[in-house]
Amino acid sequence: MKLNIEGLLVYFPYDYIYPEQYSYMLELKRTLDAKGHGVLEMPSGTGKTISLLSLILAYQKAYPLEITKLIYCSRTVPEIEKVVEELRKLIEFHCKETGEANNFLALALSSRKNLCIHPEILHANIVVYSYHYLLDPKIADLVSKELTKKAVVVFDEAHNIDNVCIDSMSVNITRRTLDRCTSNVETLQTTIQRIKETDAAKLKEEYRRLVEGLKEANVARVTDVYLGNPVLPAEVLQEAVPGSIRTAEHFVGFLKRFLEYLKSRLRVHHVVQESAPQFLKDIFQKVCIDRKPLRFCAERLRSLLRTLEISDLTDFSAITLISNFATLVSTYSQGFTIIIEPFEDRTPSIANPVLHFSCMDPSIAIKPVFERFQSVIITSGTLSPLDIYPKILDFRPVTVASFTMTLARTCLCPLIVGRGNDQVALSSKFETREDFAVIRNYGNLLLEMSGVVPDGIVAFFTSYMYMENIVASWYEQGILENIQRNKLIFIETPDAAETSMALEKYQEACENGRGAILLSVARGKVSEGIDFVHHFGRAVIMFGVPYVYTQSRILKARLEYLRDQFQIRENDFLTFDAMRHAAQCVGRVIRGKTDYGLMIFADKRYARADKRGKLPRWIQEHISDGSLNLTVDETVQMSKHFLRQMAQPFRQEDQLGLSLLTIEQLESEEMLKKISQMAHQA
Amino acid sequence: MASLSEEVLLVLKKVRQRKQDGTLYLMAERIAWGPEGKDRFTVSHLYSDIRCQKISPDGKAKIQLQLVLHTGESSTFHFSNDSSALTDREAAKDLLQQLLPKFKKKANKELEEKNRMLQEDPVLFQLYKDLVVSQVISAEEFWANRMSTTNTENTLSDKKQDVGISAAFLADIRPQTDGCNGLRYNLTPDIIESIFRTYPAVQQKYGENVPHNLTEKEFWTRFFQSHYFHRDRISTGALDIFSECAKQDEKGNVTHLELYRYIRSGVLNVLTAEGLPKEKKIGGKPASTSNPNRTGKENSNSAIIKRFNHHSAMILAAGSRRGDAPNDQASETSSTDGNSRDSDLFQPPIKKVKLQEAIDYLDLQREDGPKTVALNLKKSDRYAHGPVPLESQKYTTSQDIINSITCIRHEMANYVPNLAQVLTSSAVSSAIAALSPGGVLMQTGTQQAINQMVPSEVQGELKHLYIAAGELLRHFWTCFPVNSPFLEEKVVKMRSNLERFQMTKLRPFQEKVQRQYLSANITGHLEEMLQTAYNKLHAWQTRRMMRKI
Repeated sequence: MKLNIEGLLVYFPYDYIYPEQYSYMLELKRTLDAKGHGVLEMPSGTGKTISLLSLILAYQKAYPLEITKLIYCSRTVPEIEKVVEELRKLIEFHCKETGEANNFLALALSSRKNLCIHPEILHANIVVYSYHYLLDPKIADLVSKELTKKAVVVFDEAHNIDNVCIDSMSVNITRRTLDRCTSNVETLQTTIQRIKETDAAKLKEEYRRLVEGLKEANVARVTDVYLGNPVLPAEVLQEAVPGSIRTAEHFVGFLKRFLEYLKSRLRVHHVVQESAPQFLKDIFQKVCIDRKPLRFCAERLRSLLRTLEISDLTDFSAITLISNFATLVSTYSQGFTIIIEPFEDRTPSIANPVLHFSCMDPSIAIKPVFERFQSVIITSGTLSPLDIYPKILDFRPVTVASFTMTLARTCLCPLIVGRGNDQVALSSKFETREDFAVIRNYGNLLLEMSGVVPDGIVAFFTSYMYMENIVASWYEQGILENIQRNKLIFIETPDAAETSMALEKYQEACENGRGAILLSVARGKVSEGIDFVHHFGRAVIMFGVPYVYTQSRILKARLEYLRDQFQIRENDFLTFDAMRHAAQCVGRVIRGKTDYGLMIFADKRYARADKRGKLPRWIQEHISDGSLNLTVDETVQMSKHFLRQMAQPFRQEDQLGLSLLTIEQLESEEMLKKISQMAHQA
Repeated sequence: MASLSEEVLLVLKKVRQRKQDGTLYLMAERIAWGPEGKDRFTVSHLYSDIRCQKISPDGKAKIQLQLVLHTGESSTFHFSNDSSALTDREAAKDLLQQLLPKFKKKANKELEEKNRMLQEDPVLFQLYKDLVVSQVISAEEFWANRMSTTNTENTLSDKKQDVGISAAFLADIRPQTDGCNGLRYNLTPDIIESIFRTYPAVQQKYGENVPHNLTEKEFWTRFFQSHYFHRDRISTGALDIFSECAKQDEKGNVTHLELYRYIRSGVLNVLTAEGLPKEKKIGGKPASTSNPNRTGKENSNSAIIKRFNHHSAMILAAGSRRGDAPNDQASETSSTDGNSRDSDLFQPPIKKVKLQEAIDYLDLQREDGPKTVALNLKKSDRYAHGPVPLESQKYTTSQDIINSITCIRHEMANYVPNLAQVLTSSAVSSAIAALSPGGVLMQTGTQQAINQMVPSEVQGELKHLYIAAGELLRHFWTCFPVNSPFLEEKVVKMRSNLERFQMTKLRPFQEKVQRQYLSANITGHLEEMLQTAYNKLHAWQTRRMMRKI
């Protein structure tokens, strides 16, 4: 199908189109026209990726000077594989329609096996890779720094992008890290000694280079060739490496001193929390390390490793980590916090000191990306509430839009279960967490649903601990036995391989008609990235509201920071975070318009406007006032009704004209008007 | 007393039945009871008729043994010998336990099959009543032909669908307290089979240990005591014979897990969902999967979770194992569930297909496939309740109907009335009148009259007679051509059967009809059919005589 999107000819490799896809492309084009950033929410299963690719490809073709490259970032390898497959399909269609040979070069970077095809990236029109290649300063430096400015960057499945940013900038240092560092330093020392005896000129040459300073890097940045590296702050580039760490031996000595200092800091008996300036002050007082050499640490180490011609960098990951930490802590006085915990909260008797250097500001990592690239699109199935992402990532979008799923039949059924049959309020909140009445009612809900819902049911708990406790007491009460009469039970575990196997078995059981229940954890591996299409998931039950563990000091520090810097109240952020995970979990069940599924929110708190209002629009609009505080029995009745309706045959003709359009229908005056309204609503 | 020559295996005196003292005899093929002082049996059951035996629980005042028959009837024996009642009962029970399965297997199957056929087919049932119950032919003769015809179609259904295992079968073993600090588990053969199918390792252990090392009872006692059964129990001691089973299962699991660590099946694998290996992150600490400092409670919780996953996987595997290799259970124990299937994951095309499936929006594509016709049900309740068995009918296949319709349509299209040769209208109307019921030409026919002349019960009876006669004649005619001594014998026998039928069934009916409706000769056709059969036999016999001469 050939589409006309405000004057742009777009090749769309399907015979029909969803109205929201058209609307999505429209908004996307406007964003590109404005050369700005955008935040777009559209339910999964409505062909977001293909719409994105079709439009941007067409745009590139039409205005090759405006946009030279598409950088498509996704989170997981399977996602990347999917994107590449869709791209292949699109390009094939392109070639067939236009009769031209393919002149697009697309490139996917998925694992280290096929990393570093450096020159090719520069020429590729489309690059597909993981977030980390752009956000993680270390990898970004290797892979992405020479990417052109006139590129469109797309972050797909971006609902968690702030956490990725934070993770990429945070450092955790344990005793083991320091031990490995010590051995690293020893290796460095012996290598330097050897080289000094054989090839002293090399080290001299390095010294000369360092005196001249990092001029080259500076030139490059000023002339705008490179993507900024957040670890390498601009000021560093303008100065020469300070004398105290200029010779190799001095630098190694300096590292040793720094390590010793860190070791002494880990020998604490109580929790310490301090800011970066406090840390710097302390280090100056105790071991006389100045701020300036610390800032050059990362760059200096890189230079040294290059000079020593050490090929295998992975062996030096520990020391690289420490040097990065040194540079970060001395560069950013804000947005970071240092927490030293002598033991884990759960096991206070066992000493396991950890130094968390925790990033609290996701915008630091993503800032270079927003600054460098012309258009950055953040998109996902669940980005609600939309205004929070620009806030926490600190950028100004030109387009913010949420698209709903146009449906010929209401194929999703969100229900909020607030009470058990005995009128006990259902909630996972802390006070009632151990309450047997709640646990029993939860079990009853699952049991009843297992008798009503065909094939697969996925249930999510708020945490592993909570799940383990509930499973244990269900086992004791014999609830699990009764569930087993209806379906097989599989349970997610912290072990990835075991979970994979449980998942595969679950799918097998759904496939062969036996039916199964998968018990898993919100924020766990299953809740992100595993889809439960069609019979693999006919119902999702969300037991409780998946609040993050609030007692964590890192989280507390972050909440404080958000409050002070962005005026986001702690509770708002926690609720936002809980709701986006809940939305992710329940969203697993609907993967398209022909799919159908129940979404059961088993916690009375979901009925509150502040929670409900934070769900994506495409879920929210199907929650009726009548389904806000149901009992288990009522839920079962409504589910039965829904499932019976959904089991009726659903054909293409039923959708056509409503949620599925032919080119003629799309071009009709009436429909265009409707679609433009759709976008305005957002 | 036909059974004097039978071998008597066990004689038990002082056994009461219906409050009457007597003696219980267990013989080679049947069990019998006779009241004291009389030399005949008032109760006698073939072993093959017995469905099961039940005994009164220990500690009850009356020591009894009950036999339940396939027909649903039962006889209860009360062992009243003061000194040896219990041992008597045990002796009888044990012997029956040995004997019953032998008969059960062959008898049961056939009996059930026959029973099923009779229940499903009312016509056959009627026929059975007419021919066997009224002793026109013997039951064996009746079934001899039936079973052979049904057996061919049964070969298909003979490989009957395996019943899956209920996931909750372990839960169904409800322990009962016996009042004094003990637990009783009731095991049925079904449950045992479920256990064996799900846990082949247990079956292997059973084979190794029972009966030479342990009795069956001991084996199951240990099973229920083992941590293997109790999912939340942490393994204790190497004494437990099942600890090895657990290990073996674990090993199977571990090899699977190992496999998983290497296979990346792509679309559905969570491992790859991580995106990048952990060490890529700055400071990403290696994920600690097992925390050594967990409390016992937490440990047992995670043990439960593990067991549940394992149990479900085993049940799932048991299902597919049956499908793959029904006779190869024991050898598969080591490789628990199909490694072969997993190897598929190595094949990239599957991954490709999965990917393709994942990205395809089917509803966005024009449907290319052939248009199918939606099932349009006029009477949906009939669809829901299934077809109601009707009297046997001649069905024409839909192809026949379609053919004939096209034929007729074709003829109609080509029909050209030959106007030169039409009758006059008066001649036509007189012809129609003559051919209408009651017309000149239609008087001899009885068909149009029978439903008016004869009451419905006679009609029904006639119908049964027709069916019975048809059945017998079918037997008769299938003997031709007579080309084996067996068939020769049979055809002669069938003739006598037919004659007997004529005598015992047809004649009385004819007489009855004649008494009531003198005029109507409604059995003429039946007699004609029988006569034809006699004639045929006669012709065949004379021809044979001629040949012999």
